[in-house]
Amino acid sequence: MSWHDVGSLADLERDGHVVARVEGREVGVVAVGGELRGVRNRCPHHGGPLCLGTVGHRVTGKPGGYDVTGTLVLRCPWHGWEFDPVTGACLDDPALRVAVYAAKVNGDRVLIDL
Amino acid sequence: MDPRLGRPLWTIVLPVIDCDIHPQIGDREELLAHVERGQRDWFRGQPYFGLPGYSWSHPCSWYRQDLAADGRPPGADVEAVQRELLDPSGTSAGVLNADDAVLVSLMPSPYRAAALARAHNDWIRERWLEHDARLRGAIVCPAQDPEEAAREIRRVGEDPRFVHVVLCGGSERPYGEPRYLPIFEAAADLGLPVAIHSGGEGMGIAAPPGGAGPVAFYIEWHTLGSACSTMAHLVSLLVHGTFERLPSLKVLLIEGGIAWLPGILWRLDTNWRALRSDTPWLDRKPSEVAREHVRFSTQPLEHTDGHDDLLWEMLEAAGAPDVLCFASDYPHWDFDDPAFMVKRLPDAWRERVLHENAAALYGERLGLVPA
Repeated sequence: MSWHDVGSLADLERDGHVVARVEGREVGVVAVGGELRGVRNRCPHHGGPLCLGTVGHRVTGKPGGYDVTGTLVLRCPWHGWEFDPVTGACLDDPALRVAVYAAKVNGDRVLIDL
Repeated sequence: MDPRLGRPLWTIVLPVIDCDIHPQIGDREELLAHVERGQRDWFRGQPYFGLPGYSWSHPCSWYRQDLAADGRPPGADVEAVQRELLDPSGTSAGVLNADDAVLVSLMPSPYRAAALARAHNDWIRERWLEHDARLRGAIVCPAQDPEEAAREIRRVGEDPRFVHVVLCGGSERPYGEPRYLPIFEAAADLGLPVAIHSGGEGMGIAAPPGGAGPVAFYIEWHTLGSACSTMAHLVSLLVHGTFERLPSLKVLLIEGGIAWLPGILWRLDTNWRALRSDTPWLDRKPSEVAREHVRFSTQPLEHTDGHDDLLWEMLEAAGAPDVLCFASDYPHWDFDDPAFMVKRLPDAWRERVLHENAAALYGERLGLVPA
């Protein structure tokens, strides 16, 4: 495991994510509620660029009701499948999981631990 | 950032024919310039050209959310389609199926519908087909006025770059009804397949989606509306004897799902044996006619929770792989990535599904020789 530069803090702040290819793997860092999460940029469902998805609160509810939970999810920009950015688990398909990594800021650079 | 990042890791070496690309209208005036002057102001004053709106909306977006938009819909110009789809996928031919404009058939006024269809076809020719030789057109026509629709098909169909007629899944009656025959006759005369693309069910003058009355949610509409209308048109075309009347006619059913196909054909064949006297012009199993005359787009290929082998086996019973043609549905949210399809399809199916079946369907109009 070692830290790799995946982009600038300015880009992360502007776009909500940075993406880079590191040692043959496309990975990204996504801002999730004030935390940084390293995520493989390939959705295990269909191969979409997961880090370019949206971060939002998971919606739950009983029949006929809608509730916003405190759980933040990363939604794939292609088909909308939702992932836990901390564990990488697909929240609606236990067979699927995306690789996740530690991430941090060093000065004005964003680093990921691979 | 490297512009290649965040894009699919394309690995395709096969030629791809994409039967379903949706060009978006980025500049309303560009399309309106093709509307006859006497109607132009009416269209200009309508929300989205007077086309019926969806009562069921995707909760987030109709589009892939990784595509650049710049305040316009994704896929709103040739350069975007080249950059996002054609170039990275190695697509050798892609059919532009209109987007919401296919819903002209559901407008209450057949005169407005005909004017918008004409304008859209001319806009496709001028704004798209002239700018990339890989692009092909789909002829939009007002199905609520079949005679006028046939005239439009014959007018536009003279240009060989238009490779099929496109109708929407939403309709007043299933398309086997004799009232629609002029549309299919015109297409058959010109050697054009008729594509029926899901969408519009329950909108405008269309019948409700799902078969049991209006549904409540987009998930319901997207699951049932598109599949049920596709099933209804398939069965209707078969039982009305459309292909007996027009032996050269081919039909392509787009975006209605395919996992249900063997079940509906088995059911139809079973009923044909028992109820044949109701439609005595059917002198062989409807499933046999379907295999000869009907093709299906792969997108959106159902996720099977690890049961792909079962899906392939069932589809083989319905004529796959010869009846399947690849479609991406770019730039919509339920896009199927050709690179992913290459990996998912059985080895022996790939070339036929990604290229050969569509090449045979479109023939000379595609400018490609079937392999």
